[in-house]
Formats: sequence, structure tokens, C-alpha cells
Amino acid sequence: MTALLSVEGLTVRFGRFNVVEDLSFSVSPGEVLAIVGESGSGKSMTALALMRLVPPPGVVSGRVVFEGADLLSLSERQMRDVRGGAMAMVFQEPMTSLNPVFTVGRQIGEALAWHRGLSGSAARAEAVRLLGLVEIPNAAARVSEYPHQLSGGMRQRVMIAMALACRPRLLIADEPTTALDATVQAQILDLLRRLRAELGMAVILITHDLGVVSDFADRVAVMYAARIVETGPAEALFKAPAHPYTEGLLASLPRLAETADRLAAIPGQVPPPFALPPGCRFAPRCAHAKAPCSAALPPLAPVAGGRAAACIRHAGYVVAA
Amino acid sequence: MTGPLLSVRGLVKHFRPRARLLGAEARPVRAVDGIDLDVEAAGTLGLVGESGCGKSTTGRLVLRLIEADAGTIRFEGEDIRAATPARLRALRRRMQIVFQDPFSSLDPRMTVAEILAEPFVVHGIGGAAERARQVRRLLDAVGLAAHHAARHPHEFSGGQRQRIGIARALALEPSLIVADEPVSALDVSIQAQILNLMKDLQAARGLAFLFISHNLAVVRHMADRVAVMYLGVVVEEAPREALFSAPLHPYTQALLSAVPDPGAARRERIVLTGEIPRPDDPPSGCRFRTRCPIAVARCAAEVPALRELAPAHRVACHLAGPAPG
Repeated sequence: MTALLSVEGLTVRFGRFNVVEDLSFSVSPGEVLAIVGESGSGKSMTALALMRLVPPPGVVSGRVVFEGADLLSLSERQMRDVRGGAMAMVFQEPMTSLNPVFTVGRQIGEALAWHRGLSGSAARAEAVRLLGLVEIPNAAARVSEYPHQLSGGMRQRVMIAMALACRPRLLIADEPTTALDATVQAQILDLLRRLRAELGMAVILITHDLGVVSDFADRVAVMYAARIVETGPAEALFKAPAHPYTEGLLASLPRLAETADRLAAIPGQVPPPFALPPGCRFAPRCAHAKAPCSAALPPLAPVAGGRAAACIRHAGYVVAA
Repeated sequence: MTGPLLSVRGLVKHFRPRARLLGAEARPVRAVDGIDLDVEAAGTLGLVGESGCGKSTTGRLVLRLIEADAGTIRFEGEDIRAATPARLRALRRRMQIVFQDPFSSLDPRMTVAEILAEPFVVHGIGGAAERARQVRRLLDAVGLAAHHAARHPHEFSGGQRQRIGIARALALEPSLIVADEPVSALDVSIQAQILNLMKDLQAARGLAFLFISHNLAVVRHMADRVAVMYLGVVVEEAPREALFSAPLHPYTQALLSAVPDPGAARRERIVLTGEIPRPDDPPSGCRFRTRCPIAVARCAAEVPALRELAPAHRVACHLAGPAPG
């Protein structure tokens, strides 16, 4: 199957520092890829780079091939047709992404007018249909309401409805449930799962929440300090993480199903882009680190089960004990 | 002293919005609506619930950072609500708070040494030399180095700032710390460091925690008893193992099933319909009935009382039966 989205060597540079570095991954039609990482890992900047929304003075390089076209070489006008059309995005905080002075219906209608040429009663009817699709009760009345009249969960549904307005083949969702309560998060994840099945769209889910990843994603890319350190099918990755950072993240989580006396915390903290250690960026925090780890950046090397990890333990090196 | 370190009975706090210029009189927000809680010395009571359930308000009421409308709060045997301002100041040496956001709860203009010495200054304890010694002792207790004392909060990462917040709370040797979402703003790898630190400090100093969080897994890790709040009331309270392995209230069951556990097999969830009702207009009878998958007519008519259905396991549900086995 040809990839819907194919990313090669994606790098986002601010001044002298890379906040996203040499990312390569692909997304198949209908697939859910989770990009997971802690704050400062570069995951949200990756999402913005895919949409060509990186704020100045950031410089994006590499290739982002979506449905055969390299997005990084499109004109701004061509890119506007892609954005919100075949490729749409949902952000974490719906209150700041919705315009407070326009009704929900008018904001959905804007996308419908731009991409599908709908206006007037046709646009309104389609907006009501979309609100129904995202399970907003009483959609015909809600379409005339303003964002502040809606709860957090309802606003996120409206954002998803807007993103779906032009039947995207790829939805990029940046922490779509992070601001929501657990029971509402469960509703939104169920909705996304159903929509993905019904509409056959692919999803790139950007999140820090490993529980959400495990619940929703087919494949996972784990980011640390601007780079992908591990990638693979979700189930295999959670069962037997190949990179010490992934392993450390999973071990440091308190679990719902069991009680531990102590958590296996990862010592230290994520290095900022201006103070990266030499070689493997995780080495200073890694329990397995040896001298060769600081010599060079380990490449993403294949591991059993369709996975890859950027750790010299998997790259054919023999590390002396 | 016998009995619990902190004992709360019938605690009520209604926030009254200012009257609107036109239109109907605004209804009070019933943030906390008659709850009972006990925190044992050196123990941890986890207070869990979703936004707006009243858990943070409860934490602030207990310390009298805001004034309750009704109820009693006994701390180390003394009635907090009846305490004079002078007496309250003395009591506050023994009960402290750690906030969620280490960014906004530390004064950016003060050095860490000044932040940590402030409690001693406020309470007139020790001279300059003694305070400097205490600052070093506190930094050491939370895993920071002596040279950190001269720095300002903005020079620290989120995890380190939370360590400073914890050090400040420890300054006057409290017996109780109210921890309000202490790790919610932190990344997972840092969260584990702070939770381990809090457990170590508890073991070394015999601290009690009222540990407030929306994160069930974190509460499970920290608490020995757990109270679940929904719209201003406690709907279930139980020892940790009982609450997590055999929850009896339909809300607790749904809440537990809503949280995906990384690596666990995907399972059928109890997905609740609707959202949390507004706290200024809670449903009649059982407040959870509008979202409850098993509600019956009686739930709208009658407020369910907390009933003890298993040892030390109380549930406010007309339909809940004793735990199986």
C-alpha cells in the first residue's frame, strides 16, 4: 500500500538549534500514528511543520510528501487548499482556536465555503449534519450558539466537526483530550475511533499520554530531544520497549491495576535544544549508557517485529560490560 | 491525641455569584455540599474527581484559606473554624499546602533562600544563622544542592520548582500537607521523581497527606484511603485496594474504566453519556443520576446516604450492593 503521508529528514531549525531533527516516518491510509514525547521533545512542532504552520523565524527542511505532492514546495495558496481540506488539524485547547465572536455554525460554514463552495442554507444544513456526526445533542439549536456557551468537551467536538468539514484523509490531532476530564476524554476517543472507521481517515495523534496512545494508536513514534528514538506497532512497543527511554517512561508511570512501593523514575531531565549532550541525547539519563554512547548519535536501527530504535545496543555494536 | 489527625464533618461551601444587573438572581455554586473526611496521622487520603467536583475547594477549606459556610474541621483535636487569628497562625505551622503550579506559586523576585527562610521570618523563628542552616537542611531534604539557594525560581525546571514548593511546605515541620494536584503540571519522568520524594518524606517525617488529584493512577500510588467526589459530594470512600479492585459506585466504576492503562489489553469501557451538570443547578436526588447507566426513579426522588457496605467502604448509591466475595 502506498503511504498517504511520507516524511523524510524533517528538520525544524530556530536560529542555531534544531527543535525537530531528521524525522522520517510514514502514515498509511486509515492508520493511526501516535507521536509521543514529553514537553520540549518537538512533537507539537512536528505537527505544525506538517501543516506548514511553523512560526517565524523557524526554518523547515526535508520532505513532506502528502498524496504525491511535496508540501514543502507548494505555494502558500496551494497549501491553503490542502490545509483544512485533505489534511486538517485539531488543537489541544478548543477555546483559543475557536473565534469567540462568531457562532459555531458560521465558523464551520467558513471552511465549507472555502473548500466546498457551500453557502447560505446549504452550509447551515451541512454544519448541522457535522455537529450530529460528532454526537452533539440538539445540533440544530447548537449551531447558533457561541463557543462560550459550550462545555470543554462540546467545544472539542465542534473543533473536530470543523476539521471533518472537508472530509480530510489525514487528521492531525495535537493533544486533543489533554484539557478534558477522564470521562469526557473517553467519549472523545470513542468518537475519534468511530469516525476513523466510518470515514477511513488516517490520524496523527500528538500526545504525552501513553494511556491514550495504547488505547487508540496502531503505530507509535517516541520522540526525545527533537529526534525519534523508537518507532513500531503500539502493542509490541508497549510489551517490550526497545529504547531505554521508552522503557523508562513506561516504568515511571503509576499504574491503575497494580500497586508499586516506588516508581522507577528516570533521573535528571530532558536537555533543552541549546544544551544537548554529545552522542545519544538520552545517555546522561540512561541506566545502560556506556562510553560509546557519547561518541556519536545512534541511528534508528531495525529491531525485531517491524520496530526500530536509536540505541547502539540494537545497531550491531557490542558494548563491553 | 486520639482519633484522626484531621476530621471534617458536614463541610459546606457555596459560592454566591454577584447579582446580575438584569435578569434572574444568580444561583449559588454548591462547590462543597456536606462532606465528611478523616485523615489519619502519617497516612494519605486521596481525594479524586473531575474538574468542578469540589476537591480543590475542600483542600482550601481545610486550611481555612477560604471560609466554610457550615461544618466542623478538627485538626490535632482543635476546631479550626473556631480558632482566633493568632491561634490559626500557630496552627498553620502544622498544616501546609503544595500547589499544582510551581510556576505561579513561587515569588519570582525572591531567591530560593529567601523563599525557604520566609516561614521562619513570618513566625519569628531563629536568627539569620539559624535560618541559613534551616534553608540548607530543607534543600538537602528535597534533593537540591546548597548552591541552588542563591538562585531565582525562573532558573529552575518544573520538577525542581515543585521541589522548592515542597521544601517550603516542610519548613515548619508540619504534620499535614494538603497536596493539590502536585504533579499534574509535570512530565511523566519528572512526576515519578516527585512522587517518590513525597513518599520518602512521608516515611521519614511521619507526614500525613490530603492528596488531591484527578489522576486515578497517581492517587492509587500515593493514598491508603481514597474518597471519590462528584459535584460537591463524596460518592464513595474506601481503602485503596478495595476502591480500585472492587469499586461499588457506578461513577467510580465508570471513572476507572475511562482511564486507558498503557500496555493493557483494550477493553470495553463504560462510556458515560453527557457531561458533568452545572454545580449551580445539580440534579435532584442523586447528583450522578443524569449520567448513571443504572439509574431508576428512586434516584431522582431521594438523596442517597453514604452506607457502609464493606468494612470501612462507604458508598452513596441506592442500588449498590455489598462487594462480591
